[in-house]
Amino acid sequence: MPVGVSHQRPIGGGAVTSFVVSVRDLAVQYGRRLVFQGVSFDIAAGQSLGVLGPNGSGKTTLLRTLAGCLTPRSGEVRIAGLTPRDALTRTGVAYFAGDATLPGSVRASRWGSLGNGDVVTPDRRPIRALSRGTRQLLGLRTVLGRHPLGLIALDEPWEALDPDAARWLSTTLETKRDRGAALVLSSHRLHDLAGFCDSYLFLLPHHAKVVHAHEISATSPVTALQLAEVFDKVRGGAMSLRAVS
Amino acid sequence: MAHSVSPLRFFRVVPTQPALIVWTFLVVVAIGGIAIARVPSRSGDLMRPVLLLQLFAASSGFEVPARRGHYDLLLTSGHRRIWVALVHWAISIAPGVLAWLVLAVVEVTARGDADTHLLASGTCAAMGLVSTMPWAITVRLPRFSGGIGWLLVLTLSTSVLSSGRMPGSSGANEVGESIWSAWEFLVYPVVFVGRELSIGDGLIAAPALVLALAAMVAACRWVSRTSVPLEAAQ
Repeated sequence: MPVGVSHQRPIGGGAVTSFVVSVRDLAVQYGRRLVFQGVSFDIAAGQSLGVLGPNGSGKTTLLRTLAGCLTPRSGEVRIAGLTPRDALTRTGVAYFAGDATLPGSVRASRWGSLGNGDVVTPDRRPIRALSRGTRQLLGLRTVLGRHPLGLIALDEPWEALDPDAARWLSTTLETKRDRGAALVLSSHRLHDLAGFCDSYLFLLPHHAKVVHAHEISATSPVTALQLAEVFDKVRGGAMSLRAVS
Repeated sequence: MAHSVSPLRFFRVVPTQPALIVWTFLVVVAIGGIAIARVPSRSGDLMRPVLLLQLFAASSGFEVPARRGHYDLLLTSGHRRIWVALVHWAISIAPGVLAWLVLAVVEVTARGDADTHLLASGTCAAMGLVSTMPWAITVRLPRFSGGIGWLLVLTLSTSVLSSGRMPGSSGANEVGESIWSAWEFLVYPVVFVGRELSIGDGLIAAPALVLALAAMVAACRWVSRTSVPLEAAQ
């Protein structure tokens, strides 16, 4: 099947010599169901990859594979030269799959203390009693509070956040990226990732392609409209996503 | 390596069993402690509810919360999965073990000698069995499945296999008696509470304890190697 292969882009005018994340011909399946195959990309330190695709295309599965939670059927994943499981012990990896993954019975203040030990929130209510956006923010602040982080993999991170929280997230991710972390961010909403990432992985059923931001727009930040046009081309123009963006 | 949460700290924040189990242990210990202090010879009887509760406390289940993503923070923290599994098990059985030890201390204090029922080798074997097998069986199942299944097997054993014979009753011949006794200890370990195991008793208990150890090894190995997909992502 088609393979998305990245071409490294120099950062700050210098040549990129090493990748934090290197994925080659990756395939994952649940039981007999193949989720995706032939996925390849590289991410250097201080770079970010946006993973775009419709529901069920395998965005969450890809991120869980990078985080060492899933064993791929075939292909190779290397994080700082190590397998994802080994990388967890050597390289800081922050992974969050959304507010639904937080245990509802645990008090918010106690969950927040699991990050780096600092108090993330004084709220003593059970997590299930919080609003969805507050839960999402709690989960993000807990995983992103850890440091140092070599890889940050976040699944739909802007989902349900209010404008202030969304701004905090963007600023925090930019700061982490400037400090050398590699980011992998998934979303099915194009405007979340437009202009934020150095490259984009379009993940479709049985089809994956990596497109770099400078290939979409050489002079200005990528817009959601431009991403939608590229997405339409990648998927053969079968359905426009502009309404979504 | 980034600052990471230890398995022990994580499972203190994210309990492996509902608070109701812990509160029930407290009630059982309070009532049992008073009863043992008044009549120390009844300690064996008062250990039964602790073993029954432990059956369910140890049936905490690992895969279901893991697949809901509840353990993601821990599983991506860089700690070896084998430690995650062992700490999950230890936290699951800790309330029951503590309840047992508290009652044993009360018994020793009340009797004033070392001849205790609750620290007898048979009691230790029974406690070991109900603290390991249910956890190992339930590791891939929903919470309490091991306890429920165990009670079902016990009920079937008493009503079908022995034609109505209750646990603790004797068999027809020597070989049949040995097999039945080994099975009896496996499904109803309470029969050994308060007994100092003889060599013969040890041979009867050995198959169940070996089976429990093998189940624990298999469960820990599974936790160490398994993929943990999200329920919603499949």
